[in-house]
Amino acid sequence: MSQILLRSINKSYDGATQVLHDVSMEIEDGEFIVIVGPSGCGKSTLLRLIAGLEACQDGEIVIAGQRANEQLPQHRDIAMIFQNYALYPHLTVRENIAFGLELRKVPKRERNQRALEVARTLQLEPYLDRKPGALSGGQRQRVAMGRAIARNTSTFLMDEPLSNLDNALRVAMRTEIKALHRQLGATIIYVTHDQTEALSLADRIAVMKGGYLQQFDTPEAIYDRPANQFVASFLGMPPMNFLPVDKVPFWQGELGIEIGLRPEALSINRDGSGMSSLPGRIVLSEMTGSDVILHCETEAGRLTLIEERNRLSGGSGDVLIHVDLDRAHFFHGDSGARLDLA
Amino acid sequence: MKLENPLRSAAALIVGLVFLSPALYSIWLSFQTADAYYAGGLEFTLDNYGRAVGQYHFARYLFNSVFVSGIVTLGGIAMATLAAYAFARFTFRGSDLLFGLTIATLMIPSHISLIPNYLTLARVGLLDSYAGLILPPMASAFATFFLRQYIRGIPRSLDEAAYMDGASSLQVLTRVIVPLARPAILSMALYIFINEWNSYIWPLVAIGKSDLYTLQVGLARLYKINPGEDLIDWPLVMAASTISILPVLLGFALVERHLVRGITMGAVK
Repeated sequence: MSQILLRSINKSYDGATQVLHDVSMEIEDGEFIVIVGPSGCGKSTLLRLIAGLEACQDGEIVIAGQRANEQLPQHRDIAMIFQNYALYPHLTVRENIAFGLELRKVPKRERNQRALEVARTLQLEPYLDRKPGALSGGQRQRVAMGRAIARNTSTFLMDEPLSNLDNALRVAMRTEIKALHRQLGATIIYVTHDQTEALSLADRIAVMKGGYLQQFDTPEAIYDRPANQFVASFLGMPPMNFLPVDKVPFWQGELGIEIGLRPEALSINRDGSGMSSLPGRIVLSEMTGSDVILHCETEAGRLTLIEERNRLSGGSGDVLIHVDLDRAHFFHGDSGARLDLA
Repeated sequence: MKLENPLRSAAALIVGLVFLSPALYSIWLSFQTADAYYAGGLEFTLDNYGRAVGQYHFARYLFNSVFVSGIVTLGGIAMATLAAYAFARFTFRGSDLLFGLTIATLMIPSHISLIPNYLTLARVGLLDSYAGLILPPMASAFATFFLRQYIRGIPRSLDEAAYMDGASSLQVLTRVIVPLARPAILSMALYIFINEWNSYIWPLVAIGKSDLYTLQVGLARLYKINPGEDLIDWPLVMAASTISILPVLLGFALVERHLVRGITMGAVK
């Protein structure tokens, strides 16, 4: 039912500030889509347009085969989870979960039963008679999810639902959301600025910048074949290194190109062999557990690479950095667009 | 219970008694006979209350005041809440101008609108009727402004969550905004009720028939019971005054907690 089409969506505020430029997407039934991008890139606005909470100036939104531009939010049969959860503070957890059912005039017995089922799924049963003010952040987040799930809709919109949680809880909730998606089989459109969430949750990721859709593809494709320098730099931790080719001494191809090197394409060259190496100096090392992130200064620019901790002797000094050119990405020096060099 | 500083408690008690003394004196006086009062003696009686209610129709005036103030409060709060919700949440053509005009009416002394209101009601034949007493004071610009500011403090995401849950705009108002704005609504209801209860000029102008008098008009007429005589029956007047303040005290006791919260909310936002 929930195939969603966005066709050439344009949105501006007061006719002056354009926040979305010609955004088009086709979202299949049951897909988990993550919209990712830096603050102010228009990702939340796009979500609100799909929800019907805002209207676009141009373009068409089609939900389940029907033009939805003029439909009010309450008629779109979409559930939404807000960044601040937006729980009704005057209602108990049970009433919050059952609120949507009550508005649809579902008999009290039935909606209480449904609220109980949802609360069991989300381990909220002990808190059913509490008000949101008496819950922790994680519990509130689960109530917000419960309120959305209770309605049995086929599409869920989630606007940075984990951003207010601490790291441990965020990881736990991420797993729960993924499991829930599998269990419900619903379409989920999820907005975040956290690339880890994007890569771990999504069937497909939409990367946005400045109101433009930069790339819309699977996490693997986006990671392995980023459409441009922005996408390449936005996804991946530590981020991709960029070097202008004219500063790379062993480069023999055309000029005016930037080489993109993920940290895993770089390694410390211990035996000094091979052509594609850059001399450098470790200026900073960060221990992350089993690995160490090394920040090295080279003549071509600063490079970040990851080494196994037990293979590293000392965290400073001069090193030779091996560049695996087979794993390098190439971008146009001016436009930043991806170049496929043979 | 926490023991307060005894000096502070004593000071509070003294200040409280100073403020209360006129009311306590009136109540005490209402149980005296007029003869004893003017002779400087003491004579306890309940007769003043009996006369106020029986001979001078204060039961009727009490009913009129309760009825008129009650309807004005209910209608006024309903209108102010609806208007405040519209001003707080919807942008429509001329909304700022309309809100500005609403605020501007606060700057016009109420006596200036007395004659236009009188002429309007005379034209539509509503003088000397409950409708004439009720309709003009029902629209409260202050309550509209106050509630609009309160509603603006309620996160808009709650409205949006309710819309996503399937609510209409009216359901958002009744199911989300009104329960959350209850302290402000109750304090405004009490404000409107007290204003209307104490209203004197408009009922005096709009009503000629004695069976539609409110307590305040009835009280004022007690002074003129015996024209030509210099002596006013103060114990009777005080008994009638006591009758007139009791419902307000009762109302205040019921919503005092919300009233204080509503008034001080600006300090905690």
